[in-house]
Amino acid sequence: MAGLITDWMTLAAKQLDDDVSPAWLKAKKEQALEQLSVLKTPDRKLEYWRYTDTKRLDLSGYEPSLPSELALHDRAEDCEVVTIRLHDAGFEVSENCPISLLVKSIKDINESEWIDLDFTQETVINLVNTANFCAGVTIKYNHTETSKPIKLIVDYDFSKENEWRYVRNQFQVSQNSKISIQEQWSSGQTNVVNVFDLEAGAEIQRLQQANLRTHQRLISFNQFQLAGNTAVRGVNQHLGGALQHHIHRINFNGSQASFKMGTVNKSINNNNIADLVEVNHHKKNNQSEVTHRSIADDSSQIFTNAKAYVAVGADDSQIEQDLKNILLSPGAKIFSKPELEVYADEVVAAHGSTIGALDEQSLFYLQSRGIGIKQAREIMIESFEQEALTC
Amino acid sequence: MLKVDNVFASAGNKEILKGLSLEVKPGEVHAIMGPNGAGKSTLGNLLAGMPHVESQSGVIDYLGKDLLGLEPEERAAEGVFLAFQYPVEIPGVNNMYFLRTALNAQRKYRGEEPMDSAQFLRMVKQKIKDMNMRDDLLKRPVNVGFSGGEKKRNEVFQMGVLEPKLAILDETDSGLDIDALKVVADGVNQLRSPDRSFIIITHYQRLLDYIQPDFVHVLADGKIVKSGPKELALELEEQGYGWLNN
Repeated sequence: MAGLITDWMTLAAKQLDDDVSPAWLKAKKEQALEQLSVLKTPDRKLEYWRYTDTKRLDLSGYEPSLPSELALHDRAEDCEVVTIRLHDAGFEVSENCPISLLVKSIKDINESEWIDLDFTQETVINLVNTANFCAGVTIKYNHTETSKPIKLIVDYDFSKENEWRYVRNQFQVSQNSKISIQEQWSSGQTNVVNVFDLEAGAEIQRLQQANLRTHQRLISFNQFQLAGNTAVRGVNQHLGGALQHHIHRINFNGSQASFKMGTVNKSINNNNIADLVEVNHHKKNNQSEVTHRSIADDSSQIFTNAKAYVAVGADDSQIEQDLKNILLSPGAKIFSKPELEVYADEVVAAHGSTIGALDEQSLFYLQSRGIGIKQAREIMIESFEQEALTC
Repeated sequence: MLKVDNVFASAGNKEILKGLSLEVKPGEVHAIMGPNGAGKSTLGNLLAGMPHVESQSGVIDYLGKDLLGLEPEERAAEGVFLAFQYPVEIPGVNNMYFLRTALNAQRKYRGEEPMDSAQFLRMVKQKIKDMNMRDDLLKRPVNVGFSGGEKKRNEVFQMGVLEPKLAILDETDSGLDIDALKVVADGVNQLRSPDRSFIIITHYQRLLDYIQPDFVHVLADGKIVKSGPKELALELEEQGYGWLNN
């Protein structure tokens, strides 16, 4: 474990030697490498990693595994489905990609388009991405009135499952454009950084569907830059895997914007899932609503944290954090933490967190109608999940 | 159909039923009345198999089977139905899906073929029409956002779809206005048949104006202390339960 930071730095240094990226981009990577040199590998002393087995970042004991048996919901929609497949050799875009959707390699990004991200010791694993990323895309979407709604599917499909793949994507949604973005992980051990940059009036519907195989790992950092009058509706489905560590950072940079996100964390087989949301209300009149529903069974662990920061003067902010958790076995653990840090006077904020078992009265109600206990439990869990999926 | 013989039962750590006996024959409607805390709801919950309601002694024979030896879902599939005093809400699961799952689970237990979606839809649409209820009930999540009256109507509708042999109504009339009471009573009366029995647990006589019972029993301190014809309910309405203390 102690060698992980060295491994990451060695990899980054080697890539920099071979890197043909523009000088400004190489400089960004060198800067990240320099910052890495004074940081340490994540451990349980860090808030963001306190409830995660950090040994799982080490892939040296990797064993191939079968896909999880549990299926997550899919939603059919009437829209143009465009697929981007990220793989070892680069990426492919489906032929039906319209001209309103411009896709290029992250390596071809212009300096003016690049968005710097703040990383610290807590987010060192995401800083590693900046130093090491060699795959990913930049996407610009400019919706026109005549174009059909677009659902963009980003599929991560890396064949080498015994090494980390570092991916950085940047999504820019132009003024008043609306797009649906779905991410899914077919294979591979992925460390991904996504930046969603919404111009005024833009809207995103986003689905992060991480249904991982038993030994698959996923680290994701997702930053949303929200201009005025923007809207994000997000659903995250996190299921299975040896390790899932997700951070969503939302920056309200204008007013009259809203961010609503529902997350289902389902950990049933010694999985470790950490799901952290940081909402920064920098400006007035914005609304954030974060709903988490987590279910842990066997000896799995889930850490779920919703944090909202309201800056001085960001009055009329509305914040809601709703974290509910169900433990299905005595060996499972859930750590659930809503947090509010408010420096403005006129704010409406509500937060709540509960942890419990399935409601016995409800189970009995289902049984009393003839439904067996196993199916009754499944129905209750599905009902519980729906609260986040329909938020 | 049902023979409850000298049953003692507790809810949690408290002994509630203390030597209760009751016999219900096919087609009969029995009303159970009594003061608060007498054990009326405990009787309904015991018959349906609620956890934490446990019998200490006594026998409950239901159609030749030991009812207490069956799981709640087995009792339901054998034809026992409890209309809850406080029906629970199940967000995200609509009534149609819930009822079809329940019906097919019961059919599977009985060795019958499952009912497909089209058959089920036809059946429930007809039922809801016959019972004078609104069909938006089917699309809504189970009891979520329902008024008290709607929840009770939904219980009676579920009873209509599942067609039990023994239906236990636990204070189904509580919280209902007069129109809702009539809808619920009509639903019950439509289901009355020579091979279906009812146990109606109630505080008030007014429900029995609409559902004529064959017998009225007074339950007090965990056992039945008086039984009689339907006129007994009128006496109770006039006299209250104070005479029990004499």
